[in-house]
Amino acid sequence: MGTKFNLNRQPVPDEEINSHKDFGELVNKFKKQSIEKARSDASFLKNKKATYSAIIAGVAVICTVTYFSVFKKEPPKETTNDKIVTKQQHTYSPNTKPNKAFIAPPISRLNVPYTSYKVKSEQGATLKHTSNSKIIIPKKAFVNKQGQDIVGDVEIKYREFHNQADIIASGIPMTYDSAGVQSTLESAGMIDIKGYQNGVPVFINPEKPIIVEFQSEHIADRYNMYVLDTVSKNWVYVKRDNSLKGLKTQESSRASASETASKKTDSPKTIELQKQIDAIPPKIEAEKTVYTKKINRLPKTHEPAKPYKAIAGRPQFELDVNYKEFPELEAFKNAVFEVGSENKNYSSKLADVTWSSAEVSEGPIKGKNYLLTLKLRERVEKLIVYPALSGADYDKALKTYESKFSDYKNLVAKREADEKRLKEEFEAKQAAFAAEQKKLSEEMLKERIRWQKEQEEQLNKQFKTMDNASKVTRLFNVSSFGICNSDCPTNMPKGEQMTPIFTINSGGAFVRPEHTYLVCHSKNVVFNFYNPTISYDPKDTYSLCVIANGKMYLCNKEILNQCFSAKQNKIPVTELSSDVNDAFDLRKAIGI
Amino acid sequence: MVLDYKPTMLLNAVHMEFSPRYHHTADMLLDEQMIIEAAKQNPEHFGPLYDKYYKQIFGYVYQRMDCKDTAFDLTAQVFLKALTNIEKYEYKGVPFASWLYRIAHSEVMQLFRNKKNLRTVNADISDLRYICEEVEEEYMEQYKGILMSVIKDLPEDDLQLVELRFFEKRPFKEIAEILNLTETNAKVKLYRILDRVKKTLTKTSKNNGN
Repeated sequence: MGTKFNLNRQPVPDEEINSHKDFGELVNKFKKQSIEKARSDASFLKNKKATYSAIIAGVAVICTVTYFSVFKKEPPKETTNDKIVTKQQHTYSPNTKPNKAFIAPPISRLNVPYTSYKVKSEQGATLKHTSNSKIIIPKKAFVNKQGQDIVGDVEIKYREFHNQADIIASGIPMTYDSAGVQSTLESAGMIDIKGYQNGVPVFINPEKPIIVEFQSEHIADRYNMYVLDTVSKNWVYVKRDNSLKGLKTQESSRASASETASKKTDSPKTIELQKQIDAIPPKIEAEKTVYTKKINRLPKTHEPAKPYKAIAGRPQFELDVNYKEFPELEAFKNAVFEVGSENKNYSSKLADVTWSSAEVSEGPIKGKNYLLTLKLRERVEKLIVYPALSGADYDKALKTYESKFSDYKNLVAKREADEKRLKEEFEAKQAAFAAEQKKLSEEMLKERIRWQKEQEEQLNKQFKTMDNASKVTRLFNVSSFGICNSDCPTNMPKGEQMTPIFTINSGGAFVRPEHTYLVCHSKNVVFNFYNPTISYDPKDTYSLCVIANGKMYLCNKEILNQCFSAKQNKIPVTELSSDVNDAFDLRKAIGI
Repeated sequence: MVLDYKPTMLLNAVHMEFSPRYHHTADMLLDEQMIIEAAKQNPEHFGPLYDKYYKQIFGYVYQRMDCKDTAFDLTAQVFLKALTNIEKYEYKGVPFASWLYRIAHSEVMQLFRNKKNLRTVNADISDLRYICEEVEEEYMEQYKGILMSVIKDLPEDDLQLVELRFFEKRPFKEIAEILNLTETNAKVKLYRILDRVKKTLTKTSKNNGN
């Protein structure tokens, strides 16, 4: 390869370099290239040579496999007996990563070990596990794969999972997809039980199920029984876990505690808040009464009657009016009462009669017309009359009317304004009461949740500190070997999302997680994330385990919650110490 | 092997200023790592890295060839290759740029292997002076041709070292990262090259004296 030497070449100006920068073009090329690659991958399969090669290779593989299976006897292969009967109603599919064992302990040294027991099949046994759980095996509980009773020693391999550390250490998948919604199982405890005779798996006689009285640390009564179908890789719902209710033994302390808890369903603060809430509607009613009275007390308005000008030629009566009885007629002093055109019974002869009495009462239009009742012995005539003025009296009355009408208008405006003001005041007070009620209700709801959690935690603590005999016992009715649990589905945490960058001891080295476990401290649940982004509820407390390159890294709850609070995605992690050798140590390391 | 040159001489090269092109603080590395992780998810997020390193990579490519247009094309090719393979990128505690330089070097070498372009060394007279100072020789006009000839004939790996150190004026830390060597190894290699240069220059000087 020849080399040329240039001396003092002119540098390329920045403008020219920048003019060649085109990120959009780069992305387009990248996308085009990706599409072409995808097509070429597809076309490879269409290629005749490739197809023939694949067919030949396939035939060769089949022949080889057939040869080995027919002519070569393979050494006995270990089979498992954890396939379960799948006749239950609901099936959930745990999330699994491709090319990974379904149950894959992330760090093999941490895996929860089995305890082995020997049982004479024909005699049965009651085994007491180190956790104080009892495994009650009836006589002749085991059969071979042909369904025949087994005689002799059977090795029972048994292990339990109580907490988040056990879940992580065992690698048992706790996530499942229910109708496309991903959930995680919150656990009240799991068992894994297997049986072997001379290394060959045995099976449980379905008519003689094994009963496991499992000592659970979780007392809540909201769990279901599931079994893990390792063949179809599904959690299978068995039934509602009612075992707590049915069991009388070892329950007295729990029952009394539960009774105490149930008697005290609400905290004092909740009761106080409820009182405050209850007091609000009467307060609103009282305010309503006060404001109604205030409105009623506002000065009343009477529109003054406009003087009516007498029409020449209309029949009229002159009357002595008691102005105290008809104050509105004050303005009509010296008025005559004009007979209204609506009086069909009027005739001019009426004016010639000397009536023994004439009474004026309210007419059909109050304040405008009046009813004139004329009597003479048995004869009675009723006429609708209108007070009317003429000449100077009319002018005077009109002036008085105008003045009074002006006062009336002012009064009406003032009353309307006062009414409006009072109404607004009332509405504002009503809104304030409603807001207070809402605030108190929210506060009460939070308090109730907090109280319930506190009660539950207290009971949990109480039971954890009690000796084993006082723990809650859950009954597992095991009719086939495998993994069973008493769990309840929990939604993935919501609230905030983050794409963390994990740094080892806050230094420069990064950890690229293959699997992130978010360990919830308020519930016995571990959330699994296989993507870089994790979600969390900012109100909850978590710690974190990260698996990368076959190593486990931890972030304790204090540091993690600081990061979550500050929304800081650089999360310092520490590599799991080599001193941590089992799930028990892991539990301490995680801080649960 | 005993070296004629003390390491301190190189570190404190008299008139030459070595300045890092891309070195970052720990925080900057973290931020860059975030962008890389985002770009792994979505190529559109590669933009900040492209903007940041385009000029540097073009400079590196053009330093080694004559044709500007080819250099621009090859720079585009380097970034396309980086984007295509970003999923495979693993953070090893050094800036992303070192990975880009390695891709650029590979692409440049591929171009020369295909004989589509002539390997070119671009330097200034001042750079040659620095080399002379480095080997404790006073620069003379007649050295120019000798130095050019010696440098041209260096094997590719040695030429890379000389270019990065004297013509691109990079600190050893960057050189080591780009060439995937340790810093000490880079220094030792360069001293050996300079040793050879010095011998050639001394021989020439003696011949002229004679």
